[in-house]
Amino acid sequence: MQPAISAKGLGKAFGGGWFSPAKQVLTQVDLEVLPGAIFGILGPNGAGKTTLISILATLLHPDTGRARVLGLDVVKEARKLRQRINLAAAGAHFLWCLTVEENLRFYGRLYGLGGRALTAKVEGLIDLFQLREQRRVVFDRLSTGLKQRLMLAKALINDPELLFLDEPTSGLDQDMARHIREEILRLNRDLGLTILLTTHNLREAEMLCSEVGFLKEGRLAARGSIPDLQRRLGLGDHLSLVFRDSPAPLEYGRLPGVLTHRIKDARVDLVLDRVETRLAAILEAVAHAGQELAQVKVKPMDLEEIYREITH
Amino acid sequence: MNRRNVFAVFEMLFWPAIGIFSVGLLTRFLNLTEETVTFILIGAICMNTIQIAQLDLSYALLYSVWSKSLKHEFIAPIRLGHILLGSGLMGLIRGFLVFLVMAVLSVGLFNMELSRPGAGGLAILLAGMFINAAIIGAVVLALVLRFGQRAEVAAWAFSYLMLLLCGLYYPISVLPAGVQVLAQFIPLTYFLEYFRHFYGFPLHFGRPLLYGFSLSVLYILISYAILLYTLRSAYRRGILLRLSE
Repeated sequence: MQPAISAKGLGKAFGGGWFSPAKQVLTQVDLEVLPGAIFGILGPNGAGKTTLISILATLLHPDTGRARVLGLDVVKEARKLRQRINLAAAGAHFLWCLTVEENLRFYGRLYGLGGRALTAKVEGLIDLFQLREQRRVVFDRLSTGLKQRLMLAKALINDPELLFLDEPTSGLDQDMARHIREEILRLNRDLGLTILLTTHNLREAEMLCSEVGFLKEGRLAARGSIPDLQRRLGLGDHLSLVFRDSPAPLEYGRLPGVLTHRIKDARVDLVLDRVETRLAAILEAVAHAGQELAQVKVKPMDLEEIYREITH
Repeated sequence: MNRRNVFAVFEMLFWPAIGIFSVGLLTRFLNLTEETVTFILIGAICMNTIQIAQLDLSYALLYSVWSKSLKHEFIAPIRLGHILLGSGLMGLIRGFLVFLVMAVLSVGLFNMELSRPGAGGLAILLAGMFINAAIIGAVVLALVLRFGQRAEVAAWAFSYLMLLLCGLYYPISVLPAGVQVLAQFIPLTYFLEYFRHFYGFPLHFGRPLLYGFSLSVLYILISYAILLYTLRSAYRRGILLRLSE
């Protein structure tokens, strides 16, 4: 299957002059995203997330390397590619004195839409993003959440095959962020849209992304599905067993799936490769040893740990 | 956008009207001949028409820069030519309306005489004005794409300087000798001279139309090349992203 995004050796530096060195923002980034995936780019501020997404979205030329999106070169075939992609970014900004409807019509025209096709498209998007009440409200008077909804609506004006989302829920309240996430999942599920998103929000990446890549100081430090990364980094789910009196006399390190263990007083902390497949066997072993359990706590591995492991 | 932008009305009606009234009343106070009144008022009309037309060309990017939506426009599959054509047409329409308003006020209130050069002479002057506006507008666009918003003021200062040098309210001969040399590199100088010679004012430079149109074509090609180069450089330097933040 041809990847939706394929980048090799991407590098980008900004600034630099006679008296100041250029700042390297991306270094030798290789990336491959399959069609229909939601791929998350994660990393701290200044890691190069927006630079990477901007290169792939044809808004910035790389200094080194090449990238193809939907089989088209992002520099040499940019105009052809732009017909098939779109972008929504944090902090929605549109022409301030145009209404919701006028903004959508304006962008529709930039994609060559007109007449009934444009009207139908705009009406559909207004309904889809529940903007009917605000259709005649000028952009400047919209709330942050509504602006972000308009941003997503605009990003679908050309029925893109691939969508770039640069921190799509940044600055939104919890309800609105959840609504936008559901919408992103729906677009991916129902329309088969390939989505590349950057986010600071690890929970969001966990919820949305089938695969993630971690950028650190301009380099792609790791990439893969979350379980895959977990295995590669030797990180796992946490299982805490708290006994009534003392811990069961077991060789915890030899129990199936145990990566590491620690015993402190009546508490045993285990790190397991997959808690959902190992829990029953471990509890059975503990029961055989005859010690009574007071508490069992399970904490599945999360992206936060992977993030810490990679970025620090 | 103009419908909801009260400043657009100011640009098209208020400032041009102020311009014509102040210059027109000055000519009345000085008790000038009909020819000299026309000489001066056509300068005022030229200045306002060119300013409005070139502003519209610059607005093609400036509205997006001001609203920080530039990257959304440039991720759409449009060419530089589309932007220039669209904004150029708007500039042509608005510039022509300003010309019309100012011409009607000048003829009706201050005895300006517009018919002497005939329709051809008038059309050539209008063409000259719009070509100059296109050149200035393209240079402003290039400067904004290279240096960002801070270039706006410098760019417009440059356009006023150009209008000063081309003999807007006076014949080229009154400029200091060194400045007269500069004036001959400005296409509008020739179009104004050509128009004014119908009123008995001598030509300072020979073959005004040949030089006026030749320089115009040359400058249009150069400014388009500069603009294209600046846009490519903006993609390399990340200017489109910086102007969207």
